[in-house]
Amino acid sequence: MKKIYSLIALCTLVFVFACNKDLPTELEFSSYEFNSNDPQGGNWKPILISAGSDLKIPVPTATNSPAYQAELAKTKSAIQGMTAGQRKTLVYWTNNPVVRWNEIALELIAKYNLIPGPNADGTYPVPNPADPQGPPAFPFAHPPYASRALAYLSVAHFDGLISAWHYKFLYNRAPAYQVDPSIPFAYHDQNIPAYPSDGAVVAAASRKILTAMFPLEAAYLERREKEHLESLLLSGEFVPSDLDAGVSIGEEIAALALKRASTDGMKNAQTNQVVGDSIANEAFKRFGWKWINQESPQRPVGLTPLFGKVKMWNVPNVEATRPPMPPKPGTPEFEADVKLLKEYAANSTAERRRITNFWQDGLGTYTPPGHWNDFAARFIVKYRLNTLRAARTFAYLNMAMMDGGISCWDAKYYYHYPRPIQLIPGFETIAGTPNFPAYTSGHSVFSAAGSEILAYIFPEEAKLVRGWAEEAAISRVYGGIHWSFDAIAGTQQGRNVAQYTLEKARVDGAGR
Amino acid sequence: MNFFLKCHWRLILPFLVLPFWSVAQSPTDELLMPTKEICFLANYEYGRFNEYWEGTSLRTNATIATVKRNTAMLMAAYGITDKLNVYVGLPYVATHSTKPNGGKFAGALGIQDISFGLKYRFFQKETEKSELSAFASLNFSAPASNYLSDYQPYSLGLGAPQLAWRGIVNYKLQSGVYFRAVGGYLWKGYTKAEREYYYNNGSYFTPWMDVPNSWNYEVVLGKWFLNNSLRTEVKFGSQHSTSGDDIRLYNAPQPTNKVNASRVGAFAHYYFPKIKGFGVLGYWDQIINGRNAPKMTSIGVGVTYQFGLIH
Repeated sequence: MKKIYSLIALCTLVFVFACNKDLPTELEFSSYEFNSNDPQGGNWKPILISAGSDLKIPVPTATNSPAYQAELAKTKSAIQGMTAGQRKTLVYWTNNPVVRWNEIALELIAKYNLIPGPNADGTYPVPNPADPQGPPAFPFAHPPYASRALAYLSVAHFDGLISAWHYKFLYNRAPAYQVDPSIPFAYHDQNIPAYPSDGAVVAAASRKILTAMFPLEAAYLERREKEHLESLLLSGEFVPSDLDAGVSIGEEIAALALKRASTDGMKNAQTNQVVGDSIANEAFKRFGWKWINQESPQRPVGLTPLFGKVKMWNVPNVEATRPPMPPKPGTPEFEADVKLLKEYAANSTAERRRITNFWQDGLGTYTPPGHWNDFAARFIVKYRLNTLRAARTFAYLNMAMMDGGISCWDAKYYYHYPRPIQLIPGFETIAGTPNFPAYTSGHSVFSAAGSEILAYIFPEEAKLVRGWAEEAAISRVYGGIHWSFDAIAGTQQGRNVAQYTLEKARVDGAGR
Repeated sequence: MNFFLKCHWRLILPFLVLPFWSVAQSPTDELLMPTKEICFLANYEYGRFNEYWEGTSLRTNATIATVKRNTAMLMAAYGITDKLNVYVGLPYVATHSTKPNGGKFAGALGIQDISFGLKYRFFQKETEKSELSAFASLNFSAPASNYLSDYQPYSLGLGAPQLAWRGIVNYKLQSGVYFRAVGGYLWKGYTKAEREYYYNNGSYFTPWMDVPNSWNYEVVLGKWFLNNSLRTEVKFGSQHSTSGDDIRLYNAPQPTNKVNASRVGAFAHYYFPKIKGFGVLGYWDQIINGRNAPKMTSIGVGVTYQFGLIH
């Protein structure tokens, strides 16, 4: 008996404690030494402005001036009074807050990536930016919305930091911990001038962009910005005027980004049913087929039929990136795909299921563009990029993915190609079929575009990320929601679109 | 025939196999197998729901229409001593939606969780008119196949190791009427999804999902009939999760959800007086209230066979 009881007790302890671990709610990394300082970073070519010097900030006071000394005393006393909670916050933000603000964006995307359900009478409500509370809440952060929110956020970060770098190395104001060596510095000594604070640029720009994209989060974002700015002061690197100048740049560049966003055509992307039907009928006249939503109750209009008309970042003409016509239903090429899909559905394997789920990034998650931002953040930390280079990585990544999404949506609603569940009677899937036409696959385009940017910036990872993009593409075929030609053409389309962004990246002055 | 020799399955069986509220019961009745007696059960259960609680609000969802669960289960109980029994069980589950449905999702099928249980009687007091007994039980279960728990509402189970501690008190009158109360704590471990990010009131950058623990209660009123050949029960049970998030609007459930449920049920087990060792059983259960739970109706039938292992 005793033995049995001991065994029970042991099993209990093993199971309780073996699994009693904290689950990561953010990328786990701590402050690191940047692999470069990029003193010439202020001369790089920005996206929204013509040069970093376009944004103006006051000439800083000298570090031996009474005004600066007063600020220094204030900083020092704040650090001396630091609470345990504030110390924890310092560790959380690290010296690369570009990654942290990107994570906050991903979290909000996942929070708002909920498709509106039907009303009791079978109609569907539409999220309304004029009444964000809803229900349904605004926005529905679907993949096109997510790619756009991330693009504006990252472009604002990049331009703002080019401007910050310009003034940092123009004025060369030393960080607080160098002016007064008795001030402890929370992070690695990088020998990067402090005026203006790069972290403050990122905090202010992020708050402003994300508040516009997720209006119900205004109070939350204000709190995160405040927490971050306070943390920057407590890091020992900055005095209040360094932060103020950073905030000024961040707000100015965010306003410019939001000005572009307000006229990029996104507000017309979600059409009403009349426009949606006419787009479908045009395709039917042209090709003899049209995609039809299979949900119950049927959704009257697909997701953002006019996202393909949104203003692109780097592609002059979306039609130049439109893929060739997909196989006509009934042709041998089409029937071969039907056979393939049925075969995958009938012979499920653990590996295909894993691939389907790993890349699904469906409702309630950070979407495929979010997944590629997650990968980018890990490479940024792995290769120890500074904040400027981190922002550059995200900016090109997200511009290329948003352009990819626009090009993909152009093809989706031009060809209006049906999904497998529409054309294969009785077909069932292990992934959710989205509310828009099949050709080309959004996952394939987003992933191929994203992978080309990461392959350029992190050449050591090129083979890996291109392999991932191909796996993401085929995952949709395994899931039963895309034809193989949706995936193959989508991958090619994403690679093509990314070249336009890479052309800019190659001549921006940053080298690789 | 002494009914203590009869094998007993009430509440051992259906509740290990329900994925999203999993009012997992292990040996929770007052009966024990005598030393070196073994009993087998083959059981089939059919469950269905077309409404569920999204948070606390009851809704239908044409994407999934009516979800059906078919469960076949084999179980065995063995008397190590007259006071200590051991249990083992293994269910096979198949799920799917009725047609038509808006989602066109494939169902799932396969072996669910294997479970091992122990039950020990630590108190017994008999008088002329009644009998009072008390038991402690421990049940451990873990996935026996690589089914995906993160495929709700079709997933076969929670995909996590579970450990249930229970206390059982039973009071039986000479008339054959009995009353039983069961209280338990269910520790549920982590389940591994096949994605590396999910949202649970915030971001999680990991495939591991914390399945909420729960407190489970049950009260049962029963009576023996036909010279102790027929046992019948009605009962009320509930589960209260200690943590977890709500299903989000028009979104799929996930294993991290806070699943609460109250249910009522009835059960009968008939032991053939003339066919030694054989019995048949049937039951019905209905979830009547819940949070992030399906409003499931279940019926089950089973055959039991009991014999002495060594004479």
